[in-house]
Amino acid sequence: MTLMDVRPGVSCVIKNIFVNNLRKRIIDMGLTTGTKVTVKKLAPLGDPMEIQVRGYLLTIRKAEARMIDVELSHEEADQ
Amino acid sequence: MKIALVGNPNSGKTTLFNNLTGANQSVGNWPGVTIEKKSGKLKAKGFEAEIIDLPGIYSLSTISLEEEIASRFVLERNADLIINIVDASNLERNLFLTYQLLDSGIPMVVVLNCMDIVEKKLQAIDVGLLADTLKVPVVAIAASKRRGIDGLIRYLASKDWEGISPVVSYPEPIESTIAVFNDYFQDRFKAIRFFEDGLKLLEPLKLDAKTNLLLTEAYQAEAKRHDLDFDMVIPNERYRQIIDLCEKVTTKPKIATSGTTEKIDRVLTHRIFGLPLFGLIMFSVFFLAFGPVGTWITDGFVAGLNWVFSQMANGIESLGMATWVSSLVTQGVFGGLASVVSFLPQLAILFLFLSILEDSGYMARAAFIMDRALRRFGLSGKSFIPMLLGFGCSVPAITATRTLDKEEDRKLTAMVIPFVSCGAKAPIYGVFAGALFFSNAFFMVFIMYLLGLLVAILSALLFKKTILKKASANYIMELPEYRMPSFNNTFRHTWERVKGFLVKAGTVLLVAFIIIWFFSYFGVIDGEFRLLDSSEIGQSLLGTIGRFLLPLFQPIGIGDWRGIVALLTGIVAKESVVGTLGILYGVSGDAIQNGALLFQPIREAFTQASATAFMAFALLSTPCIAAIAAMKKELKSWKWLAFIIAYEMTIAYLVALLIYQIGSLPRGTAFSIIFAILLILFVLYTIIRLVTRKASICGSCGSCALKNNCVSSPSTPTEKKNKTDTRSDSHET
Repeated sequence: MTLMDVRPGVSCVIKNIFVNNLRKRIIDMGLTTGTKVTVKKLAPLGDPMEIQVRGYLLTIRKAEARMIDVELSHEEADQ
Repeated sequence: MKIALVGNPNSGKTTLFNNLTGANQSVGNWPGVTIEKKSGKLKAKGFEAEIIDLPGIYSLSTISLEEEIASRFVLERNADLIINIVDASNLERNLFLTYQLLDSGIPMVVVLNCMDIVEKKLQAIDVGLLADTLKVPVVAIAASKRRGIDGLIRYLASKDWEGISPVVSYPEPIESTIAVFNDYFQDRFKAIRFFEDGLKLLEPLKLDAKTNLLLTEAYQAEAKRHDLDFDMVIPNERYRQIIDLCEKVTTKPKIATSGTTEKIDRVLTHRIFGLPLFGLIMFSVFFLAFGPVGTWITDGFVAGLNWVFSQMANGIESLGMATWVSSLVTQGVFGGLASVVSFLPQLAILFLFLSILEDSGYMARAAFIMDRALRRFGLSGKSFIPMLLGFGCSVPAITATRTLDKEEDRKLTAMVIPFVSCGAKAPIYGVFAGALFFSNAFFMVFIMYLLGLLVAILSALLFKKTILKKASANYIMELPEYRMPSFNNTFRHTWERVKGFLVKAGTVLLVAFIIIWFFSYFGVIDGEFRLLDSSEIGQSLLGTIGRFLLPLFQPIGIGDWRGIVALLTGIVAKESVVGTLGILYGVSGDAIQNGALLFQPIREAFTQASATAFMAFALLSTPCIAAIAAMKKELKSWKWLAFIIAYEMTIAYLVALLIYQIGSLPRGTAFSIIFAILLILFVLYTIIRLVTRKASICGSCGSCALKNNCVSSPSTPTEKKNKTDTRSDSHET
């Protein structure tokens, strides 16, 4: 699944980043393979999305989130 | 000694800079470079250093222009010492840049800022352990409360920094790859930057063709040796080290409390209430500045100002100086200045609220909320902040476009900002709307602001579809934690902007007013060149120019040469439009008053339609010299600058023409024409939407990695999902 498909309030772990456009920026902002990400909410107009990563809040568009492969983190998967 | 101040955006860098350079700072643009790099002097007992404030950056990888400046500065080893300011309340992300800087081998001090916030959250950071692990000195401060600054200065002065070079070592196989690259660079830092940034770095380094080729081959060969994507190898390792470090040095309370920021955001970026609240906040700011409250304060201010100026004018007249001197002083200088300065309270209120919004962290939320809406027009939420600043003044707004990631995006935003009505244009509306629309004046002013915004957005769309197709309007942005704007910072921010306005009034505008006065009070009458009486002002030099241009402006309803002249002087500074009118209508004779006294002559010379056309023309035509200079700096091309100025003039003329021609028709006809135009626009819009809909299904497909994949196999799950998404979106709008 991709980061775009993760529901608000759910955490996941990044598997792979296919983003081309903002790839370097995304990596430098701390989204690397194995990083835990929590989706916080969507903007009032439905896009971009707000995520929590490495203890801070980052906002990213669905277009980019769609290019980030994730899997649900263990706590979520257990439930 | 040269000290560079480097840190993440919003880490309190500017506050520290102000604290360090203090009252005796000589803040000026960095010589020789067009980009903003501020430098100031730090003077303490027996210690003197030049502090260079580099733009706030997240990484040394050159993505945005600001990063390029900072990164080049570090790469060229222009500093003797780096002060790396780190937001202690956001250690993990901030340390990424710290590690990048450590690679440079330049002596460095880490300054842990925001320790007060860390304490408030009941966390603790072991500063000693942090320093031991990083192998560089660490100083804890709270810049906004001025805590620890003196200690930092003493510390900087007490040490001999030369020869202390930090080194970060990486595990295998990273080190061996660095070694391979280092063979070519003979510079560990460059080798690491090459590892991270890839082939893109080669261009600015200007190596010979053979080395370039060898490096490219080496890069491709090394890429195969690592499991991860090659450009992720170093960041990943760096973050791994950072996590280890953070776990070691920080203690957090066992029960994680939901932070204040989260609580505030639950309301302010709420799915349903977020948007109306945003509208309400923006409206309140303008209502407070230009509505009853602002007007009330302004009236009091103007009364005081009038008294002062008229006392001075009386005093000067009683001195019995030559007529031209008293004419120059009372009509030229006082008349112009009074008209301009009287709008100071409203501008101060506007600047005050904008800086509160900025300092508190709401501006970033505004970008987050508006991104989706702006994207349609080729802009991103991030362009929203510069555009919002444009309501204050175009010059800082145009400069602020540097935070955007791509050159095309920067160009696009910089080109449309002048359409956003700046603070200096407000007095024009004040006079014209006030004179002719009475109680509806506030509504007309609001309409003007909307018109500016509308033209800006539509122009952005037009540019994006035609000349700036590459503009991608990227968006990825941090939401900073909310902070109570400190009185000091807000005051300084507001004061700096007000001061800018006042300085302009005292220098550029003063000269402009004197020139305007000369041209309007001197002229040739009966073959004699002399000082004119107020009644003969039509014969003046300026009057001649105005009348010469009259045929051009009559179609847009400006049938009085004074209006034309006022508009022309607006190119010097928009503030002077009203001032010029004041001089030309001779209202500054004895008691110098602003707007209110201008109402009578304006009512005589303008109708509602032509006043609206005048306002629209002033709003949309070429911005002032300062803004043009700022645009030149950002567009970096005379061709583009000439284009945008011609475009602005054309649009301004067309819109004013439309307003005046339709507005002068009988009411019924006017409404039917407006209705017809709206109908045509709606039909066109629908057709365009239907045509372009297919292409827009996949958001940022043009540049996405799976582009080919995306088009050829539309049945992938992601793609399907996205299609349904788009469809439901179009229902919403």
